[in-house]
Amino acid sequence: MKKDTNIDRRAFLKASGIAVTGTLASPLISSAAGLKNQSLQVWSCGGLAEAMIPANQAFEKETGAKIAYTGAFAAALGKSLLGSATTEVFAPRVVDLAKKLKSEGKMLWFKPLCFTKYVLVTPKGNPARIQGIADLARPGVRVVLTPGASAPGGEASLIILDKAGVLEQARKNAVFNGDCVQTAMAELVKGTGDVAVMELRLTRIPDFQGRAEAIDIPEEFIPGKPVPFTIGMMKWAQNRELAEHYIEFILSEQGQACFERAGFIPALSDEGRRLTQKYGVIDA
Amino acid sequence: MPKFKNLPRRLSQILFLVILGEFSFYGIFRCPFAVPYTDCGACPVVQCPGKKLWVGFWLLLPVTILLFGRGFCSWACPGGLFSDIVSKISLLKGKVSRGFEKIFSLMKYPVLAAAIVYVLVLNNPRWAIPIRTGEFFNSIKLTFEHADTLWLVRTAFILSGFLLIILIPHFWCRYLCPTGGMLELLKKVSFFKYRMTEACNQCNVCQKACPVETRPAEINCTNCADCKDACPVDAIKLKRGL
Repeated sequence: MKKDTNIDRRAFLKASGIAVTGTLASPLISSAAGLKNQSLQVWSCGGLAEAMIPANQAFEKETGAKIAYTGAFAAALGKSLLGSATTEVFAPRVVDLAKKLKSEGKMLWFKPLCFTKYVLVTPKGNPARIQGIADLARPGVRVVLTPGASAPGGEASLIILDKAGVLEQARKNAVFNGDCVQTAMAELVKGTGDVAVMELRLTRIPDFQGRAEAIDIPEEFIPGKPVPFTIGMMKWAQNRELAEHYIEFILSEQGQACFERAGFIPALSDEGRRLTQKYGVIDA
Repeated sequence: MPKFKNLPRRLSQILFLVILGEFSFYGIFRCPFAVPYTDCGACPVVQCPGKKLWVGFWLLLPVTILLFGRGFCSWACPGGLFSDIVSKISLLKGKVSRGFEKIFSLMKYPVLAAAIVYVLVLNNPRWAIPIRTGEFFNSIKLTFEHADTLWLVRTAFILSGFLLIILIPHFWCRYLCPTGGMLELLKKVSFFKYRMTEACNQCNVCQKACPVETRPAEINCTNCADCKDACPVDAIKLKRGL
């Protein structure tokens, strides 16, 4: 059968040029037009809120899409999702939660997002001259504890003190035993205490910025469970293209910079890649 | 055209509804602490406007007490506005006995005492998982879903107080509100207050005009001024001095 080959060379080149230009510009087109006015429901661990909010705003500005964002205690959100609640993208703390959601077919896949860093936090100026975790056992040092804070965040500080062999003495030195890390942080920066084991992210919250100092804790004392955060596509994602584009953005340099500013170690960084291997943040 | 009763008060209530309305709502439905409106500086709920308002609120409240006693309740509190509206349909309007009023008005003091103990002695414990940020109704749903029993009890207590307005006007404000209780105790020091003059003939028209069914300067009077124009002998005056 004879094909119709009556296409002139100029027209062919013109069409090819348009096609190539279109292909190259497709991400921009989808950003500017394809995703505009579309909405995506994103849930994350509440601890990520200070990073997610500016990242979401940047994504909305770039694409015109609308992010309906909920940030709360990941285990509670996870429990809801394992029940009857739904969302399109979920960024939980604790890899096991992502794995469980995936094993139940509710999460399609996940990627490493960032890592939290536990540090010793002192009020600005470090009035008690805290130098290391052993100082929490020093008589007279006023320790701020949060034994009642949501696990695993609150629990982690006790594990760290236990591993460092100072838990019993730190408990004796405690001047504040709270059930909320932000309340404890507020007490610390106003001088109620000299030191607390906290996540670095708390020192970056606007209310506490510039009012606290952070001192590293040796990695051997840090429990692995609460450190990694992941981000994953849920089975309820109605617009997969938008959800994928969003996750790509969050994991891009621009998105990850928001996490670094908020006190996290971005998965994209060299340190993040090392921690990804260390904590096995792999969607197998 | 119907005459709008006490227009300045209504305008003030609308203005404060705009300023404090959302904050009030967050306090009841999303505040994770035992006592809302008191630990906003350290609250993890990012969206709550209380983070910006609470310091100003607690600085201005004593000023309003010094000037107008319980005036905040009737001129600024969004809960007071809500009570004003729902009280229009209260079933037992004008039927609450003096004995009942006296006894039940004391209930707000144990509530106030409990609130003070929770805030000052027990560091205002957190009874709910804070939904740090999220869509309005979805966040309320999640808050209720993951709250401790104590949080559910405290929220049910508040909502019941408002629901009972269907029976008795301003039930929450008259009998249960801890802020109202605090203001009631301190209102004696206020500089301006409505009082009855010697011209009063005890006709009690003022009590019928009063949204909380009291008389000027008596128990639960909030200096709302609704009674002023109702007095047939013009015996209600705003007086200065302690």
